[in-house]
Amino acid sequence: MASHASVSRKTLVVSWVALVLLSVITVMAGQFDHRLLPGVIVLLAGLAKAWLIVDHFMELRQAHQGWRLAMLGWPVVMALAIGLAFFWRLGAG
Amino acid sequence: MWFFILAELAVFGLLIVAFSVTESLHAEAFRASRALLDTSTGLTLTLSLLTSGFFAALAVTQVKQQQSRQAALLLLAAVGSALFYVVIKFREYNHLAYAGLDIEYDTFFTLYWILTGFHFLHVLLGLVILGFMAMRAWRGAYTPAHCRNLESGVLYWHMVDLVWVMLFPLVYVLN
Repeated sequence: MASHASVSRKTLVVSWVALVLLSVITVMAGQFDHRLLPGVIVLLAGLAKAWLIVDHFMELRQAHQGWRLAMLGWPVVMALAIGLAFFWRLGAG
Repeated sequence: MWFFILAELAVFGLLIVAFSVTESLHAEAFRASRALLDTSTGLTLTLSLLTSGFFAALAVTQVKQQQSRQAALLLLAAVGSALFYVVIKFREYNHLAYAGLDIEYDTFFTLYWILTGFHFLHVLLGLVILGFMAMRAWRGAYTPAHCRNLESGVLYWHMVDLVWVMLFPLVYVLN
């Protein structure tokens, strides 16, 4: 969070609406009767939500790129770990 | 604050990886146990946390526009939304414990209680921080030039959000 800059109120409102919609999409996708698609949609929605939080709520879009990459890297690594386990289960099943 | 947040994310990361790997080894048991959780409760928890984070982010913008009292009210709104999370989560815990789905029920619920319980403790700490910052903002302690402590507290709260964004699909949805 950079004290010299501030995300606009409009950006925060749009981000919040997007976060709500992505959360609803996550639940709906989880109920799809399909082997592969729910996992892909749910993980992509999770990554999009993480990006919105990091860039807009945390205000890291224009801040130190190292911290931004660290904050964005964490959800990517988590999504990879969750995704690999999920798709490995699909393959084994 | 950044190093503290990275350390916290590392611990949550290990727990999430442990959950995923264990699920790969006990896929059927995890599927059956996850079906016992209410996804709509998970969604409600998610929305309450995200809304709380939204109010906290708005509070920072208000301080930077020298609107300290409005920032205090927004921080109180963040506390209210987070309290809603606490009530819903406590009711879910109570329901699960009453149904016998406690930490010893099976591997899924062992990891569920550890992972969500650890996160729940962070929410409780965040509530205290948000409440304290609301009080300070009401007294005009934060100005555009002196709001680093506020930013650090809000940053911690967004970290709690960020972790939940990955926990929610893992624990409630990905069956």
